Amino acid sequence: MTEAEAGRTDRRSASPGGGGIRFEDVTVAYNGTVVLDSFSLEVAPGEVVALLGPSGSGKTTALRAVAGFVRPASGRVYAGGRDVTDLPPYKRGLGMVVQQYALFPHMRVEQNVAFGLKAQKVAKAQIPGRVAEALRMTGMSPFAQRYPRELSGGQQQRVAIARALAIQPSVLLLDEPLSALDAQLRSGMLAELARLHRELPDVSILYVTHDQIEALTLADRIAVMNDARLVEVGTARELYKRPGTEFAAGFVGNSNLLPVTVAECAPHADGSFRAAVRIGTQSQPVAATSAEAVAAGEARTLCLRPHLLELAAAEHHDNAFQARVTEVQWRGSSHRVFAEVHGHEVRLDANELRNPPGIGETVWFHFSAQDAVLIPGSGAALAEGGAR
Amino acid sequence: MLLYTRRAQRIAWAVFGFFFLLLFVLPFGILVLAAFTRQWNGAFPSSYTFSNITAAFHKDPLDGLETSLITAFVSSVIALAVGTWAALALDAMRNRGGKALIQTVFMLPIAVPSVVVGLALLVAFSQGPVLLNGTSTIVVMAHCILVTAYAFQQLSAAITRLDPAYEQAAASLGARPYYSLLRVKLPLLLPALTGSLALCFALSMGELGATAMVYTSHWTTLPLRIYALDDRGHQFVAAAVTAVMMTITLAVLLAISKIRTRANFR
Amino acid sequence: MSAVTELPPATPTAPGGRSGPAAANKARFSTAWLWSTPPILLLAAAFLYPLYLVVKQAIEGSPPDPANPFKVTTSFSDTLKDPGTRTVVKNTIEMAVYSTAGCLVLGFLLALIIAFVPFPGARAVSRFVDVFLSFPSFLITVSIMFLYGRVGMVNHIASSLTGGKHDTPIDFIEYSPWGIWLAELIYFTPFVMRPLLTAFSQLDSGQLEVAASLGARPGRVIRQVILPEALPALFAGGSLVLMLTMNEYGIVSFTGAKYQTLPVLIENFAKEQTNYAGACALAVINVVLSLALFAGYRVLLARMSGGRRAAVHA
Ligand SMILES: Nc1ncnc2c1ncn2[C@@H]1O[C@H](COP(=O)(O)OP(=O)(O)OP(=O)(O)O)[C@@H](O)[C@H]1O
Ligand SMILES: [Mg+2]
Repeated sequence: MTEAEAGRTDRRSASPGGGGIRFEDVTVAYNGTVVLDSFSLEVAPGEVVALLGPSGSGKTTALRAVAGFVRPASGRVYAGGRDVTDLPPYKRGLGMVVQQYALFPHMRVEQNVAFGLKAQKVAKAQIPGRVAEALRMTGMSPFAQRYPRELSGGQQQRVAIARALAIQPSVLLLDEPLSALDAQLRSGMLAELARLHRELPDVSILYVTHDQIEALTLADRIAVMNDARLVEVGTARELYKRPGTEFAAGFVGNSNLLPVTVAECAPHADGSFRAAVRIGTQSQPVAATSAEAVAAGEARTLCLRPHLLELAAAEHHDNAFQARVTEVQWRGSSHRVFAEVHGHEVRLDANELRNPPGIGETVWFHFSAQDAVLIPGSGAALAEGGAR
Repeated sequence: MLLYTRRAQRIAWAVFGFFFLLLFVLPFGILVLAAFTRQWNGAFPSSYTFSNITAAFHKDPLDGLETSLITAFVSSVIALAVGTWAALALDAMRNRGGKALIQTVFMLPIAVPSVVVGLALLVAFSQGPVLLNGTSTIVVMAHCILVTAYAFQQLSAAITRLDPAYEQAAASLGARPYYSLLRVKLPLLLPALTGSLALCFALSMGELGATAMVYTSHWTTLPLRIYALDDRGHQFVAAAVTAVMMTITLAVLLAISKIRTRANFR
Repeated sequence: MSAVTELPPATPTAPGGRSGPAAANKARFSTAWLWSTPPILLLAAAFLYPLYLVVKQAIEGSPPDPANPFKVTTSFSDTLKDPGTRTVVKNTIEMAVYSTAGCLVLGFLLALIIAFVPFPGARAVSRFVDVFLSFPSFLITVSIMFLYGRVGMVNHIASSLTGGKHDTPIDFIEYSPWGIWLAELIYFTPFVMRPLLTAFSQLDSGQLEVAASLGARPGRVIRQVILPEALPALFAGGSLVLMLTMNEYGIVSFTGAKYQTLPVLIENFAKEQTNYAGACALAVINVVLSLALFAGYRVLLARMSGGRRAAVHA
């Protein structure tokens, strides 16, 4: 497709290419309470985007707006290459899997999977083949004749996915599909989902979860939501390595967030900036990475991942700050050390230490400049963020 | 658990057993006993007979039984259809006033005395364009009105309990509303449907007040014939007919509950 | 008809939005009304219109008929003023109140024991209560005649105990209000028990144990823990029974006609005296009384948390 063509398609149907999902300024309100506020997000064809956020942040609402179960008060929703805002759910042709699966209890597995095909009046001759294919993909072929109540939780989950896949949707909506499973089954199903997506490279997936591990494992991009709004969106790596907001830094992975003052800032070879920042007013500056240029004297938040901090034996380490140990936890294969620096708590995660520090001891925390990220901070989130 | 000492429990059970046997079990026992009684001069029947039971299957009561069964079947099927329709309409209605309207209209027959339901039909259909007085239709109609309210109530309660996730899953798979009604909603409501069919049938079999107002000599239901027997002093035959009627009603209820077992998924 | 969208758009479409959502919404709105109309019309034609005619005739009374000088003519106020009517209204209310009171006490006691002093077979008993609800009411009257009637079993036993001095030591069933009361007590108690058993099954049994471990005796536990939880169910069951006893025809008519209540008198006016206007006037009184009670019942039921299925028959 040439650029001109792409532009035309885009203008005519206002759709993201041939498939995918697009939210355009979608606002949803329940009885006057806004639960999704000017939400804009795009999921490209074949892409997996995870909606990540705390409970009540509006993730399910966003997904249900795509499926057609809530009607936006304003804004448009595009899915599968067309504007679906005014379409009833049954005309949208999207696959959906919800937390409790909602398998039809009066139908056998096979009938459950065939339901969508029959409802859409697919030619009779095609149905058995497509049902068998969906069951094969999810590994449920041996259970075709069972009733849902005769299946385990994980098996029910596979049937729910098979049922959604049978209608060959270009878009798959998954609302916390693994949350009803226990931890062990969950990691198995996660790998299964990843394999399924490799098998169906053209299907766009919008995956709602509040589990960051699921999001990091499965998603090409992560959209972080909080309080009815989209906070930040980016690839899993970007969000993890270079979070742009305190909320994302705190929600995607663990982090220590410390208020700092910039002492100086200079461009770096990789296109970002290196800044020297002070944690306390008097302390020795430490080096950190910033996405943008910052003027000396500005306040920022320093994001340090606990597992990227190291205990340094002596002060002569170049990029380190001094802290007083408040608690040491031994967790079998690892140690977790809490320490206080200028009134803020900092956490360090390390492989089991041979000589763990004692409580009250003063130690040096060392880190590499590229692992420390400066975030435009307000300082408001510090209280919770710092202890994570 | 409320009582922890053995003694207190025993007292409670004794109290329960006393009332339960005396008030609920004894009447049934006596009824069955009376059904087989030829003469009852002392504390217990002095001689027994099968002739009451055979009398219950003679022309007159048998006619009544047939009338009652037909009336009950026709009216409970119609009531189930109309009641289910109204309950589904109530569920689809988003307008508050509309909801209240449907609820009030369909609950009203429970609040109005059955005798008054009969009277109203008598007043309305003894004159005017539609003359139904003296027909079997008016009897069936009275039964329909009375039991539709119960069917409606049962079904709308069952629909509220139904998880909306099933219907939404169906819609997400491309099922239009009527398709998901037929293939998902009604099958899931099957236990409630058979349950309220059974209830309507039983209520219609035992209906007396409205029927007493609208019956005719060629469409006299069994309860009315039992009343007549009792009134004319044939108490033992009346007891026998009542016992037969209860047995047949229970058999039908049992048959209906058998449909249930296949439909009970959860 | 099935509304898959669980709620209507809460906020109207934004100014920039197309007319699409509004139009679709309007379509769904009218579909719901379209689906509701046939059953409502059906019931209106078969029931509401006749009911309206009853009210109309009650108010208009029946004009004198020149062709039939023996026809009874009555007006609403005649019927209202008639001392006979007043006695019957009083009877109706009295009987309903006493029966309901008896049902509440007995139903609460029995439900309490089934739920909280469990014994083997308690489940079967509660099943039996369900089946009981589908029996016809006159059955009770027929059988208590054999038990407590003039020549019934209890009388024979009692008279043999008293040495045959009295023929009928127990003479309260036939033609007396007590027979009706007993039959209504028996027949309607299960209607109180059903919602109570539902409410009791939702009560956390841990509460009772905690209360007992804190030193509360059973009486206090019932008063302070169980009763407050059961109150809505008790109210709901009670007002339902109040309404049903007020409208009961079978039991009263089977007992014998000396003690009359409104439904029996209505039947008598209409079928034996062909006094339709009088019957309609009585019917209006009866309906107003029971509607008032039913409205109360619905309000209480709506307040009953989680006990919705404990409605009339459940
Ligand atoms: N039907 C409804 N009526 C009113 N408010 C609702 C309704 N459904 C959701 N909400 C509100 O909308 C907000 C967002 O809900 P949503 O279900 O989208 O959250 P979520 O991010 O999926 O949370 P979770 O992780 O707990 O599932 C919540 O505050 C919730 O209370
Ligand atoms: Mg959710």
